[in-house]
Amino acid sequence: MITVKNLTKKFPSVTALDGVSLEINDKEFFGLLGPNGAGKSTLMNILAGYLDADSGDILIDNEKLSVNNLTIKKKIGLVPQALALYDEITAIENLEIFGSLYGLKKSQLRYAIAEKLKMVGLFDRKKDKVQTFSGGMKRRLNLAASILHDPKIILCDEPTVGIDPQSRNAIFEYLEKLNSDGKTIIYTTHYMEEAERLCSKIAVIDFGHIISRGTLDELIDSLNYKQTITISKNHSTEKQVDILKSFGKLILEQDKFELQPTDGFKLSAFFKVIEENGISYSAVNLKRPSLESLFLQLTGRNLRD
Amino acid sequence: MKTILTLIKKEYILFWNDKVAVSLTFIVPAALIFLFGSIFGGSGQSASGINLAFVNNSNSRIARKIESTLDTTKAFNIIKTYVNDDGKTVKFDTVSVKRYIMGGNATAALVIPKNAYSDTSFGLKLKFYYDPKNALEMQIIQGLLQQTIMMQIPELFNSGMMRRSQEVLGKIKGNSFNRQIALLVHKYFGVDTSKILSNGYLNFSDTTQNDSLSSSGFKSFFNKIINLDKEQLVGKNVSNPQATRSVGGWAIMFLLFTITASGASLFEEKQSGVTLRILSCPVSRVQILWSKYLYNISLGIIQLYAMFFAGLIFFHIDIFSNSINLFIIILAASAASTAFGMLLAAFSKTQAQARGLGTFLILAMSSIGGAWFPTFLLPSFIQALSKITLVYWSMEGFLDVLWRGSGLLEILPIVGILLAMAMIINIISIIRFRKGNIF
Repeated sequence: MITVKNLTKKFPSVTALDGVSLEINDKEFFGLLGPNGAGKSTLMNILAGYLDADSGDILIDNEKLSVNNLTIKKKIGLVPQALALYDEITAIENLEIFGSLYGLKKSQLRYAIAEKLKMVGLFDRKKDKVQTFSGGMKRRLNLAASILHDPKIILCDEPTVGIDPQSRNAIFEYLEKLNSDGKTIIYTTHYMEEAERLCSKIAVIDFGHIISRGTLDELIDSLNYKQTITISKNHSTEKQVDILKSFGKLILEQDKFELQPTDGFKLSAFFKVIEENGISYSAVNLKRPSLESLFLQLTGRNLRD
Repeated sequence: MKTILTLIKKEYILFWNDKVAVSLTFIVPAALIFLFGSIFGGSGQSASGINLAFVNNSNSRIARKIESTLDTTKAFNIIKTYVNDDGKTVKFDTVSVKRYIMGGNATAALVIPKNAYSDTSFGLKLKFYYDPKNALEMQIIQGLLQQTIMMQIPELFNSGMMRRSQEVLGKIKGNSFNRQIALLVHKYFGVDTSKILSNGYLNFSDTTQNDSLSSSGFKSFFNKIINLDKEQLVGKNVSNPQATRSVGGWAIMFLLFTITASGASLFEEKQSGVTLRILSCPVSRVQILWSKYLYNISLGIIQLYAMFFAGLIFFHIDIFSNSINLFIIILAASAASTAFGMLLAAFSKTQAQARGLGTFLILAMSSIGGAWFPTFLLPSFIQALSKITLVYWSMEGFLDVLWRGSGLLEILPIVGILLAMAMIINIISIIRFRKGNIF
C-alpha cells in the first residue's frame, strides 16, 4: 500500500505540490489526471525516488520512501515520460544496463530481458539499435526497461505521449495485463479517455492540489448533472443558442455545443422545443458526462488548456 | 527583401542569445590573439625573465663585468643561489649548479670558470650546462647570452685581436701592427691612439648587429672570442626530444576535450530522461558521479597511453624505461583533467554551454600551460598564471619522466599538485552539483 501524506514540493518559481495526500491500495490501477503543469510529474518523480519532497511523507508498505532509500526503489519501476533509452546501442544492451542496476544476476537478467521483450513484441528486434525503432517501439521498450526487475509498483508518467493509436492500445493491453498479474500501477495522464479506460481509481490534480478522487463512477456521480447533451454546431443550431441556454449551462466548443442540464430538466420538453425551432434530432446526442466535464466543473478549465 | 531582412534579424537574435556562440566568436579569438601577439612581438615585448643559473669562479675584471651585465639584463632571471638539503640558501658551485639543472629547476646554467680569462688568453672561456627539453628555449638562451656578452664587452674583442696579432707577428711586429691600426683609426675617426692601444676602446657593439657578422667567418671568429663550452646534462639518451615534449602537450589537450565532452554528457542524459531512470533504480547521485569520474579517469589513461604509443611508433619516444612513473603521472593528469570536466558540467547550465566554455578554457590552458609553445615566451604575468593550470603540471610531469628520467620521489611534488588540483576541483564540483540543476 502506498500512503502519501501531506506532500509539498516547491521550486523557485512554482509550488508544484501543495499538501497532497493519497492512499493507493495494492493491485490498484490508479490514475492521476490533470492538465500540463498540474504537478503530476513532480509527484511521480518523488514516488520514483528521484526527488525528495520539501515536507510530507510517502510510505510504501509502511516504509518511508526517500531519495537515499535505495532498497525500497527495487519495489518500484518508473516508465518515464521521456524515452529514457540510449539510442546508439541495441535494445538488449539498453535492457542489460538498466536491469543490472537493479542487481539482477546474469541468468535472471537474461530471462527477464527475453520475457519482457516478448511481452512488448520486440524480441525479434533485440539486436537492433534503438535509433532504428519507431516511436511506438521505443515507447514499448521504455516500458520493458522499467519492469525487468518485476517491481511491485509501476509508475507510468504519460507513457503514451506522441504515439499512434495502435501502439497506445498495445501499451494499454500490456499495462492491463501487468495489473491483472497483481502489479499496482500509478498512471498519470491528461487524456481523460485513458484514465476512463484504465483506472479503477482516479485522483484529479490541479495546481498541486488533489481536487477530487474516487472511482470513475464516484467522480461522475459527484457532478451536478447526470447526462450531457451535445448539439452539433450548424446554421440552424447557432440561431437557437438562447433557447438552448434555457435548459442548462451551455458550453460552446469548436464544432458543437455541450449542454449540462440543470435540475428539473425534462428530456421530453427539451426535444419538443428543439423540434419547434427546427433543430434536427440527428444533431443531438445524449451521453454520460466524462472526466473532462468533471474537470471543467471543478476548475472552470478544460483538461488540455 | 523584407523577408530576407526578417530572417537575418532572426539569425542575430538567436546568435546573441547563444552566449556560447558569442564567446567563441569574440572572446576566444581575442584571447588567442593576445597570447600569440605577446609571443610573436605584437605587443612589443620580447622574452624576459628566463631562468639562468649562474656561477662565477673567476676574479677577472671581464668576468665581473659579465656578471654585472647579466644581473641587469631583463631577458634573464639570474639565479646564483639555491636551498640546500639543510634548508640553507647557499651559492652555487659547479657541482650544485649541474644538479640544479638536472633537477629541472632551470633550463641552463652559465659557469665562468676560474681560468675563464687571463692576460695571455685570446678569448673568454665559458661553460654552459643545459637541459635541451625545449630546443627553441635553448636557442633563444644561447642567442641572448652571446648578444648580451658581445654587446656589453667590446674590449674583449679588441684586446683579443691585439694579442692575437702579437702572437702571430711576434711582439715587436705585433706592436707595430697594432700601432699602425691605431694611427689609421685616429686619422679617420679621430680617436686617441693611446686609448686604443692601452685598453681597447674600439666599440664594436654596433657591428654586432651588422648583417655581415652572420657570415660563417665572423661567426667563427666570435666563437673564438667567446668560447662557450656546452654540455648537455639531461636527455642525452632521448631519441627524439622535441617529439617528447609536443606529444605530451597535444595529448593532454585532446584528453581535456574528450573529458569535457564526457562530462557534458550528463546534460544529455538528463535531457533524455536517462538520469531520471537511473536514479529511480537503486542508484544514488554520488554513485553516478563516481562512475563518471572513474570512467573518465580510465578513459584518460587509455587515451594518454594511446597518444604516447603513437609517439613511440612515429618518433621512437621511450615510454617503457620509466613506465611505472609514467603511469603515475598519467593517472594524476587524468584525475586532474577529469575533475576539470566535472567542474565544467557542474557550473554549466546546458550541454552547449559546457562544450563552449570547455573549448575556451582548454585552448586558454593549453596555450598558457605550455602545450603549444614554451611558457617563457609568454608575458611574465601569464607565466605566473600558467602555474595554476593542470596542463602546465601535466607537461612538467611528462617531461620529468620521459625526458629527465625522474624517479618516484622526484615526481611526487608534481603528482601531489595534480592530485591536489583534482581534489579541490572535485570538492567545488560536488558543492555545485548539490545546488545546481543537473540532477
